[in-house]
Amino acid sequence: MGQKQKPGPFQWFLIILCAVFLCVMLILPLTYIIVTAFREGLGVYIKAITDEYALKAVTLTVQVTLIAVAVNTVFGICAAWCITKFSFHGKKIISTFIDLPVTVSPIIAGLIYILLYGRQSALYPILREYGIKVVFAIPGIVLATIFVTFPFISRELIPVLTAQGTDEEEAAALMGADAFTIFRKVTFPHIKWALLYGVVLCTARAMGEFGAVSVLSGHLRGKTNTMPLYVELLYQGYDFTGAFAISSLLVIMAVAVLALRSILEHKGGKPGDILK
Amino acid sequence: MSENNYVELRHLEKHFKDFHASKDININISKGKLVALLGPSGSGKTTILRMIAGLETPDSGDIILDGKVVNNIPGSERGIGFVFQNYALFRYMTVYDNIAFGLRVKKTKESEIKERVSELLKLIGCEGLEKRYPSQLSGGQRQRVAFARALAPSPQLLLLDEPFAAIDAKVRVELRTWLREMISRLGITSIFVTHDQDEAIEVADEIIVTNQGRVEQKGTPRELYSRPATPFVAQFIGNSIQIKNYADFNCFEQRSPDSTAVLRPEFISVLKKNETQQFSTSADEGVVEDIIFRGSSIELRVRIHGVLLSASRSVNDTPVEVGEKVDVFVYRMYVIDGDTITLVDNDSLKQESVVI
Amino acid sequence: MNFRKSIIPGFGLSFGIMMTILGFIVLVPLAGLVVYTAQISFSDFVETVTRPRILSSYYVSISTALVAAIINSVMGLILAWILVRYDFPGRRLIDGIIELPFALPTAVAGIALTHLTTVNGWVGSFFAKFGIKIAYTRLGITIALVFIGIPFVVRSVQPVLEKFDAQYDEAAHILGAGKIRTFWKVIFPEILPALLSGFTLAFARGIGEYGSVVFIAGNTPYETEITPLLIMSELQEYDYVSATSIALIMLGIAFLILLVNAIIQSVVSKRVSGLA
Repeated sequence: MGQKQKPGPFQWFLIILCAVFLCVMLILPLTYIIVTAFREGLGVYIKAITDEYALKAVTLTVQVTLIAVAVNTVFGICAAWCITKFSFHGKKIISTFIDLPVTVSPIIAGLIYILLYGRQSALYPILREYGIKVVFAIPGIVLATIFVTFPFISRELIPVLTAQGTDEEEAAALMGADAFTIFRKVTFPHIKWALLYGVVLCTARAMGEFGAVSVLSGHLRGKTNTMPLYVELLYQGYDFTGAFAISSLLVIMAVAVLALRSILEHKGGKPGDILK
Repeated sequence: MSENNYVELRHLEKHFKDFHASKDININISKGKLVALLGPSGSGKTTILRMIAGLETPDSGDIILDGKVVNNIPGSERGIGFVFQNYALFRYMTVYDNIAFGLRVKKTKESEIKERVSELLKLIGCEGLEKRYPSQLSGGQRQRVAFARALAPSPQLLLLDEPFAAIDAKVRVELRTWLREMISRLGITSIFVTHDQDEAIEVADEIIVTNQGRVEQKGTPRELYSRPATPFVAQFIGNSIQIKNYADFNCFEQRSPDSTAVLRPEFISVLKKNETQQFSTSADEGVVEDIIFRGSSIELRVRIHGVLLSASRSVNDTPVEVGEKVDVFVYRMYVIDGDTITLVDNDSLKQESVVI
Repeated sequence: MNFRKSIIPGFGLSFGIMMTILGFIVLVPLAGLVVYTAQISFSDFVETVTRPRILSSYYVSISTALVAAIINSVMGLILAWILVRYDFPGRRLIDGIIELPFALPTAVAGIALTHLTTVNGWVGSFFAKFGIKIAYTRLGITIALVFIGIPFVVRSVQPVLEKFDAQYDEAAHILGAGKIRTFWKVIFPEILPALLSGFTLAFARGIGEYGSVVFIAGNTPYETEITPLLIMSELQEYDYVSATSIALIMLGIAFLILLVNAIIQSVVSKRVSGLA
């Protein structure tokens, strides 16, 4: 990286322009949420976030997030390892399909699961026979959440592994190490910070997903409401303080994610230094 | 013959998609030899090395190590040590753990590992660096550690991919000598890949020259120099220049219509006008266009019959100047006619030998 | 799907896991969409997607997303530029906060922006004095889309600028080119591909966005009704045929945008490598 310039007048103009833009677009909404959440006092705030339905929404969100992150972590590691360490036909197509979910509208993400598992689907009678409810139930929410956060972890890992190359793994394989040993001893140390960052990002998005989950949830209060859906419910019931109180929890999570990201980037940025 | 061969490659073919990387490769390498695979980049030398190691699978043909066809034996069971071009040291392991890795995989006792690692560290002269990470080592040290790591499981065959490419010029020369000594002391059959002919000539017992996926010639460095088997080798080895109008030179005749000739600096002597020599009468006149001081010698670029030749003079000779007219005497040249190559002496040399 | 034998072990296992999860989450649901689509009669499809209300929703979605993506391209470029080139207090803070729209749940952003920009809100009341309404208009939609699109352009351009050696513009400077000329002639062509792909991502994301827009849009038919919302309302009426038809058009548009981007990228990369 080149040395950074000391800003002159024109540069300060650009910097101030950006600062104002970000303040209005990003900082102001954040501040507004926090201020509104506490507008009617701490008591009301605490009551809003300890409401029975609020707690249920938090619990469901945590459960869904845990499952989604776990699945995406396993997938992300396998996909990144497979795509960067081996050459095989169809790799490009597979990569495209992995990245597809982020470019698809969340509403469409919800829609495809409804088409697959909903009442009009050929699978529906089979599912009903076994008593499995997917659409308008928790499994649907989980599937939609996995879908919208699908490539987050593999995307973090693939550039790191590509830059690292396959030499170290080949060297280890030539000495007879098995796959698990190679991954644990040779590959994993390279990706641990990127993996952690991917997991953090995936967690944030999984907790906050609204569109796709909204399609699949069926909005059963207290049963299939995640935190963002609960926020919508309160908001539409004109309980603004409640809506912003729950939102403030999500804001805290988002800020924590950004802080963590900043730390991880700092740590993971220079491999080798962290060893000391 | 063949029981002495440790490595035998028979009719190896390899394609990467449309690229024909190896074309009918046949190589025999005797036990204990240090062999260089030399060729320009893209000539298929690294592919050969990687096929021997089991890092690539040939499309057809046999790889025979110690009399056994190993095509279907995984690289890890072929008894080889491999030194990667960029060493591929495990960046998140200490020097000690790097060297011990192969032994740990083989479930060697920790006490034996300790013994072996300290023995190797002593061998490579890196005692005291056990706890360092690769990023904390110099280029030369990394190379030595990579060498030790490859040797740790006591392989029968050592393969090195461009072992000196990533090192500073000064350390490189030092390491070449070191590597040569080390390998001859251990007596291990070794093959290394290089694109640098000086390196191959200095380090190897035998050189295999590759070009466009084919093996051009195999021989000792001296053989390659004095008896190039193919036009490519004649041009590739030495600081060669190819010319078409070789018959313009005094005492050389056109041997066939489309033939060309290869000249090397050591075939040419450059004399000042006032200097005389036995064959001065059969010399051609040229003009010095450039003078490059090489430290131990002076390299000259001389324009003669429209071509620019390289030649050298000793630093002790009377200096020449740019633009100066000089006498150029060509002792010999390789004449290339299609696929055949002939060493042609200056006619005046023959006459002299007849006279005396 | 055949593959070259590699010395590194573990291909089978990782490939198997990757394809299983990819299959369940992405491939099978997409196949379900294709199968369902095949059952829709073509005349129904055409009739649905050409309803005036739906046509106007395409216009709303595309025009607001386009304007937002353009604003984001300009601001994103300036942001990336000041972050890479200048040293000023608060640089790391700005760098850290850029990703807030990724981390903050869209629904939370949506309600915060809505409340801020209604005629009674902090920002809305200010603009109301000049007769400008933000919330419940297309302007509001555009602002929500600007919010969610900020990180795309910055994060696409930033790495390219970082790699871009200061020696280039020093060289241009020595050759006598002024700063502005240097920027347009030397630097801009280099970052154009990254800028375009950031623009494309922001644009595509904007068309499909739901959570942050649905609150601020007001959802007046023919005025501020976005396409994802129409899919949502068709789904709530269990009219899966209409929902799928509209979704197909959206997928087609998204695909087209990504395709155009891919073509531009390959043309540009050919030009650059041809010169090198």
